[in-house]
Amino acid sequence: MLESKLIPAPPSGSARHLPMNGEEPIPSRVRILSVLVEDGQNTLTKVSGVLRRRGFHVRGISVGPSRQPGRSRITLQIDHGHAEADQVRKQLERLVEVLEVEDLTGDAVHNRELVVARVAASELEALLKLGAKVLSTGAGGTAVEFSGDAAQVAQFVSELTRHGIADVVRSGPVVMRRTA
Amino acid sequence: MVLEALEREGVEYIFGYPGGANLPLYQHLPEHPKLKHILVRHEQGAAHMADGYARACGKPGVVFATSGPGALNLVTGLCTAYMDSVPMIAITGQVNSTQVGRDAFQESDVIGATSSVTKHSYLVTKIDQLPRVIHEAFHIATTGRPGPVLIDICKDVQQAEAERVTPEYLELPGYRLNGHVNLDQAREAARALAGAERPVILAGHGVLLSRAESELMALAEAAAAPVGTTLLGIGAFPVKHPLSLHMTGFMGTGWCLKAVQNADVLMMVGMRVDDRVTAKLSEFAPNVKTFIHVDIDEAEMGKNVRSHIELVADARLALEAMLPHIGKVDAGRAEWLGQIDRWREEHPLRYRQSNGRLQPQDVLIDMYRRAKSEAIVVADVGQNQIWAALWWNYDRPGLFINSGGSGTMGFALPAALGAKFGRPDLPVWCVAGEGGFVMTAQELSVAVEHQLDVKIVLLNNFSLGMVRQFQDDFYGGVRSQVDLTHMPDFVKLCEAYGLPALRVEKFEDIAPSFDAAERTKGPFLIDFRIDPEANVYPIVPLGKGLNEFREAPEYA
Repeated sequence: MLESKLIPAPPSGSARHLPMNGEEPIPSRVRILSVLVEDGQNTLTKVSGVLRRRGFHVRGISVGPSRQPGRSRITLQIDHGHAEADQVRKQLERLVEVLEVEDLTGDAVHNRELVVARVAASELEALLKLGAKVLSTGAGGTAVEFSGDAAQVAQFVSELTRHGIADVVRSGPVVMRRTA
Repeated sequence: MVLEALEREGVEYIFGYPGGANLPLYQHLPEHPKLKHILVRHEQGAAHMADGYARACGKPGVVFATSGPGALNLVTGLCTAYMDSVPMIAITGQVNSTQVGRDAFQESDVIGATSSVTKHSYLVTKIDQLPRVIHEAFHIATTGRPGPVLIDICKDVQQAEAERVTPEYLELPGYRLNGHVNLDQAREAARALAGAERPVILAGHGVLLSRAESELMALAEAAAAPVGTTLLGIGAFPVKHPLSLHMTGFMGTGWCLKAVQNADVLMMVGMRVDDRVTAKLSEFAPNVKTFIHVDIDEAEMGKNVRSHIELVADARLALEAMLPHIGKVDAGRAEWLGQIDRWREEHPLRYRQSNGRLQPQDVLIDMYRRAKSEAIVVADVGQNQIWAALWWNYDRPGLFINSGGSGTMGFALPAALGAKFGRPDLPVWCVAGEGGFVMTAQELSVAVEHQLDVKIVLLNNFSLGMVRQFQDDFYGGVRSQVDLTHMPDFVKLCEAYGLPALRVEKFEDIAPSFDAAERTKGPFLIDFRIDPEANVYPIVPLGKGLNEFREAPEYA
């Protein structure tokens, strides 16, 4: 028997900083950067080290392989704090491991995030209406996935909260310009 | 393989200290007589020596240290070099690659600990990476904006056998060199400078690093623009030149600060525009209509001051590109330069000469008279540093070495020794306070062992003078933990180390003591017991704007 727990907001991680129900939208101090890096033992440490040292704050991050072997793409949502907005890009570009930094802030982009949730079977129908897809069904509940832009994902998560969910995980953003 | 690569890169000196995780390197060191190894007495000393060596002769300084505490002892020295853009290669031993992450004996995350104080760093876990990594490291350390690069090499890699490969090309797609000049911007900058009513040029370390002194001179003269230097830019423009403003910043000269605060066009070349230069940022250069910033590091643009014209380029190339566009300078410049001359007269550098105590400025003036702008002066950090910077008319580049950005006490002695290794042809003077001196005094052994002809001028006031001055002036006069009465007898200390030394307490003894130092071959220390109340002036109170500088009282 499934015991649904009410989880008002995802517990931690980047999702915490994305606009949720009742939360303020992302302030304009946030930049969206697409960073092409060389794979290496120290790359992520160095990228995050620069961000921390310069007083920037990571609101969202996702990392995945790029088209080129040995290179990965990091998508970052960065609050640049008291520094000038362009400092984030400049500081990242100083790293030898960083090949290219593209600032997508304010551009027309596809900005997608992914949610995977385990829900009670009784709640399934409403979620499917919103566009969720079933991943698996079992005694422990039904796993669904949903993807969308930040606002859609936030809406989906608040819907989940209303219905009662067993568990939810959210990805960081994956962002691409609409036109090349 | 490491040692061969270092030979290939033209390394002459290694400053280092052996230990468990770099034993394989030391085992093979005697097979490479071209690599002269200087055994230091503490790894921090090695880093500062390599730093002083690099600043004096322009070649990258090379450091060896073992894992764990050995490598961590380098951190302050790496930071010092990083903040001042000094090329350095630190090669540290790491535990076996199979032991990394297991808290092995003397293991520490050296890359993690040094990332924030190095330009780049490598952890080498496989032998085939090594030739490329060493070649890249030298390239990165010495090009663009120079800086320290650390190579952490696992012990099993040091021992591994491999085919000898000479790396032929660099694979650094993420390493950008901003050498080129945008010519349109250069023209725009030149026109702004030429068209200014009250122009000021400030020159930083970048001018010295790119050897742009003659271009700076040509541009300043063509534009009839006065030039001040930062603490690290000293030597970029001759102090005796009629257009010189001497040093800027919160302990700069009164006439320079007045010029900066009244300028309408301010060009900043090869500098970071840090808080020691601007003082209170919101009150920095309030009358400037056009800020021009020239620096090779794009990240310096707009970091502290947003400039109207940002030239991301090598200083020499940028100044060269500007020169032909200066054209005819607008009339009325005589008025501005005349105003600066009046400020120079109104705000002279001065010090107390009448209280019967030994004044540090008297000591330095005599020292500089002997140095004749042909010696390297290495200063420590604190009052001694600013006195050494202000009380001489530097007329050539590369003669004044100090830790500007990091402000590392204990820098002077090892850096002076390193400078002597780098420039054995030049006399080297080391100026230090007693507080900083004892932080790295163990390196006296190196001075004695190699009979390095370095003269140490100890300005001993039995207190942490700069901190004491700040407490007196800005922290309610509460003298807290600055008393250094309990210090060794420095003459006896030197005797124990094996070098001659003198103590001087009176003005009349300054010259004879320097005579004795100059007669002596090898290291020599003079313990000058200076006026404990001597202060640094001018000084801008912490948190205030540059225009609020305080001057030395008019002593009777």
